[in-house]
Amino acid sequence: MDKIIEAFHDGINKSGRDREKMCMVTDIAYDPEVVDYLGVDLFHTNRGRAIAFATGMKLSNPNLILAVFIGDMATLGGNHFVHAARRNMDLFVVCVNDFRYRKVAAQETPGDFSRLEFSSYCSIEQPLNLPHLARSNGAVYVARWTALHHEDLINSMAEALPQAGFKLIEVISPKPELLEFFYLNSEIKHGEDTAKVGIEEDKKIVVGKFVERERETFIDAYNKQHYKVLGDKFIKIAAE
Amino acid sequence: MKADPKNVFTGSHYIDGDVACAYGAVAAGCKYLAGYPITPSTEAAEAFAVKAPYVGAQFIQMEDELGSIASVLGASWAGKKAMTITSGPGFSLMMETIGLGAATETPFVIINIQRAGPSTGVPTSTGQADMMQAKWGSHGDYEIIALAPESPQESFELTFKAFNLAERYRVPVMVMSDECVGHMAEKVVIPNAQELEVEPRRYFTGSKKDYKPFKRDKDLVPWMARAGAGYKLYLTGLTHGEDGRPIFDVKTFEMKSKSLRGSTNRYLVDKIRHNRDKIIKFEEHQTDDAEVVVVSYGISARVAIKAVKEARESGIKVGTLRLVTVWPFPEKRIEELAHQVKGFVVPEINYGQVVYEVDRCSQGRANVILVPHGGAAVHDSDDILGAIKQAATDHNPYDRILEYTTALEREVFGENMVSKI
Repeated sequence: MDKIIEAFHDGINKSGRDREKMCMVTDIAYDPEVVDYLGVDLFHTNRGRAIAFATGMKLSNPNLILAVFIGDMATLGGNHFVHAARRNMDLFVVCVNDFRYRKVAAQETPGDFSRLEFSSYCSIEQPLNLPHLARSNGAVYVARWTALHHEDLINSMAEALPQAGFKLIEVISPKPELLEFFYLNSEIKHGEDTAKVGIEEDKKIVVGKFVERERETFIDAYNKQHYKVLGDKFIKIAAE
Repeated sequence: MKADPKNVFTGSHYIDGDVACAYGAVAAGCKYLAGYPITPSTEAAEAFAVKAPYVGAQFIQMEDELGSIASVLGASWAGKKAMTITSGPGFSLMMETIGLGAATETPFVIINIQRAGPSTGVPTSTGQADMMQAKWGSHGDYEIIALAPESPQESFELTFKAFNLAERYRVPVMVMSDECVGHMAEKVVIPNAQELEVEPRRYFTGSKKDYKPFKRDKDLVPWMARAGAGYKLYLTGLTHGEDGRPIFDVKTFEMKSKSLRGSTNRYLVDKIRHNRDKIIKFEEHQTDDAEVVVVSYGISARVAIKAVKEARESGIKVGTLRLVTVWPFPEKRIEELAHQVKGFVVPEINYGQVVYEVDRCSQGRANVILVPHGGAAVHDSDDILGAIKQAATDHNPYDRILEYTTALEREVFGENMVSKI
């Protein structure tokens, strides 16, 4: 986890975005302590509502840069994830996938596929393919890295942060003793079809930048359509 | 601060209570509404959505009520006055995040156009059964403010007032309207902007380094700051101290010391309880000589008018106390009246909610009679009249709340079928 925040810190620097305007919105999966050295505003919301919370912030002040960190593979907030991607809300979403609800008693998340850990009877469910979900709903940037792909992760964050629209970076970050295993069992395939990047047992984890495209954001579309209908009577969304 | 004339639709309108709520919100400077369609509240969201682009406001139809309320909190911290509009089932979905709003002391408004019954209930009919949920719905200790309009005119006024209270006390404020008021079209007079006093957001004005999101003013209300303005905001739903940082130590939960690391839990309730005299509003009529007082709110208060008039004509000294602010509850006034009257009559469209508060405050000094109603319609005023007569004749206070058997219940269940409180 520290590695990811470190990458985020360097990613912000590299992207040249203004920290003062940056708000980090997380759900309960994160320790709020980590942001102190990031120099950004922190909103540590309740379970699963980070994306919706950030949506409200973005619409109220389009100048804000919203970085949303989610940690349960968009389980509680899955609906917000789908619809924010569909609207192309201007959010930078990082999903840290450690396959487990580490903060409680390591129950499996929907990202879990493994028999690597000691769950009593192993996970029998198909893991959620979050990159595919994001892409099929219109995300403009989708990438996946493991936490040990440090340089790639920094570059990816720096690349995604300035883009307008819904961006997703999934970071595979299991418990420390397994990090290297996942790193070694991954292969980089840029531009891979997200339908084929689902994590499966006995197969290498596909990482890389899967999607990069342009699409009109919600706020642009909203402003354009209302201006078309109302002309000069329309007052644009702006910060107060 | 006066209201912005651009936001105030001055004039005489013939609109329903839902639309009046929307106009009240716009007049108060609300710039963000997130909602999910639900009967009987949709007209309010529609009216707001139509007006929004003209006044620089934003309406977004979210994917669900969970998202609506979360985005309202976000909007509020990003610097806009924000609200959501819903009804029973949506209100239930919002509860968890209302707790986050209370804990982070976020100003926002929820309009709940109540409908009948638990669960899906009767979506198109009236009810007043969310009153206790409004106060206790989310887990943990906190206080909120809830207002109950009785007419479209008051829907406008109280929604306007709700924003002022939310900003003044940094607290979620609920406008507990109901289907009947929401769908009732009446004359609504919206005054000039000059006559409307808007409470501006209480922004912190000192040095950015000194800002602490939960450092309190004398009246126990902390100062706000905008997100993305360099204040290094630190907000969490975890129990936190003045600086917003989490606290898990039991000893610091009660912040009586001046220690920075004391939690702010205590103040979530104290800031409302200590200011309640300034917050509480109610209307009284003919209580000076009253032997019986009808305590009611919302649409039930209007139905009670006829019964009270008839009772006065038949020689019963009856007065009314209409709750404009239901939460916090006017405990002192009810207690004072309990010394004077034989009984209280509480008509509400539920099987007993606010009546418990009346009973608690009367402390056994007066009879408390509930006139219940299952919802989907308003009371028959004859039932309220019957309860007033009963209250006027019984002299010795009972040790429990009496439940008046309405004509409808007598017809459906028979005299002895209905279980009493």
